[in-house]
Amino acid sequence: MAAAQDISLQGEGGTTATFELPSHRHEEWRWADLPALRRAAETPRQVADIDPAALFLDLEGPRLLFVDGRFEPAHSRPGRIVVKPLALETPHPLGQLATGEGWAITLDAEAAVAAIQIVHLGSGGENHLPARIILGEDAVASVVETYAGTGWANRLTQIELARGARLMRSVRLRQNAGFVSIRDEAVIGEAASLVSVFLGAGGMGSRIDGALKVIGKGGFAEMGGALLTSGNQKQEAAVAVRHDAIEGSSRQLWRAVAADRSVASLAARVEVARGAQQTDGEQSLRGLLLERTATVNLKPELEIFADDVKCAHGATVGELDQRALFYLQSRGVPDGRAKALLTRAFVGDAMARIGEEAVRAAFEADADAWLETAL
Amino acid sequence: MLDIQDLRAEIDGKEILRGLSLRVNAGEVHAIMGPNGAGKSTLGYVLGGRPQYQPTGGSVTFGGQDLLELDAHERAAAGLFLGFQYPVEIPGISNVQFLREALNSQRRARGEAPLSGGEFLKLARAQADALGMDQEMLKRPVNVGFSGGEKKRNEMVQMGILGPKLAILDETDSGLDIDALRAVGDGINRIMRAPDKAVILITHYQRLLDYVKPDFVHVLEGGRITRTGGAELAHQLEREGYGVVAA
Repeated sequence: MAAAQDISLQGEGGTTATFELPSHRHEEWRWADLPALRRAAETPRQVADIDPAALFLDLEGPRLLFVDGRFEPAHSRPGRIVVKPLALETPHPLGQLATGEGWAITLDAEAAVAAIQIVHLGSGGENHLPARIILGEDAVASVVETYAGTGWANRLTQIELARGARLMRSVRLRQNAGFVSIRDEAVIGEAASLVSVFLGAGGMGSRIDGALKVIGKGGFAEMGGALLTSGNQKQEAAVAVRHDAIEGSSRQLWRAVAADRSVASLAARVEVARGAQQTDGEQSLRGLLLERTATVNLKPELEIFADDVKCAHGATVGELDQRALFYLQSRGVPDGRAKALLTRAFVGDAMARIGEEAVRAAFEADADAWLETAL
Repeated sequence: MLDIQDLRAEIDGKEILRGLSLRVNAGEVHAIMGPNGAGKSTLGYVLGGRPQYQPTGGSVTFGGQDLLELDAHERAAAGLFLGFQYPVEIPGISNVQFLREALNSQRRARGEAPLSGGEFLKLARAQADALGMDQEMLKRPVNVGFSGGEKKRNEMVQMGILGPKLAILDETDSGLDIDALRAVGDGINRIMRAPDKAVILITHYQRLLDYVKPDFVHVLEGGRITRTGGAELAHQLEREGYGVVAA
């Protein structure tokens, strides 16, 4: 067992908390940018010049604003969402830090709430926030989360989907600096469906961690998205889907685009338990290097203990297709714009899963804004 | 319109064009024929501005501008269209998006106002109709899953939308059945047969020239033009072969 690293961080009211960060020598954390996390936590708080109202999309539905992890009722209309202390249990080293007051929604059978928006605005230092989403039988919800500002935002979200429940979750990371760490833990019941799409298109470092368990027959779990990195930035996603029941399906579709000297890392694992027959798992990890000084790490893993399963997987890293680039240029599209179009096409299928058009358009606009700067 | 003087060009250090000269005036259709490896496609790519195809000598003037000084996209905006022998598949970008981006990039470069979505769609639909291309194919990703004939029709639709002054069509007839060949030939005549436009048809065979009558036929061999004649030269080449005719 490798040694963990201690880190002392300034907590609220000047108290100092000490906890253990994982070490790079742990396989699951080998690509994690823990120094960036530490630096983000140590940045002094400063007045954010971001208008929180501008971070919400123009959608009907509940809205919650958290500034440095604290609920801001003035900019919120919680509807059926409650803000209260949550005691969530998790083995995850960063998730464990997300204690105290958080947000929760519990929907009864067949209830539906669309376009729940959660905005996390950071001004520096560290903040931690737990969240819980429990959907009863055939209940439906969609959640959009936006991270902006700076500092270290650390989140733990636990999700329980009863039979036939459906949750669509779209998360965009657009902090201009700092670090965002997200831990999702989901339990998916019979014929229930979870689709989570992430877009890392800010200047922060990130670690998106997921543990999804399909425990009911025919359950569906999807976690994917796109990480766009530039400069010296490092972003990563590490997701494990476990199939414990028959006829389940899962999809992990991730795209990484790395420019300059940045690093984007994707680790995705599918575990199929003994007896989880007729599981259909799909894993597609693709990386695009915009410069040869950039790095994309991919780690696809399959662990299958049932004999009647279908698990398609693919992992590739490449550069922009020079023939396609010339084809666009020969039709009059300037070089930078041609690269942006091809790069956008590369990440397009990762965002195509977002069902709500306005949300998908907002994510695409974020990706476009990133491309404008990076190319 | 186009004046090529003693053009030399290489790929990866290997000289392919060895002193090629050609003059194309507005209103003319020129066919360039020649055996494999003669440098026909290289000529197209050098004129189109493909990065790996390096001009090493000579000059090319297009509409009074030094063509070789322009980037590929600037050449397009100046009115040059390169029809590809193997049109590239681009997953994730629809034909409509690709073409609107291309046309509006060219219009902006020429100081013209970009077309709105509605204006563009009207133009695109009209061109697709004229070429017998299914409207649905405009929505599909560029050339992805298209047959050889559909790709070439798509090249012609692009040419119709972009409205170039000079089209250099590289083996546009390869991979076409008779119907598609006729559609493509009609398309070239309709779009490019005008007093202010010109065409260079790079081809291996006579058959496209049955539909698009050339004013001049050139034989390209060993990186330069070795013979020039009228439409009858193409027939002679087909009958007797390059070796006999060029000698």
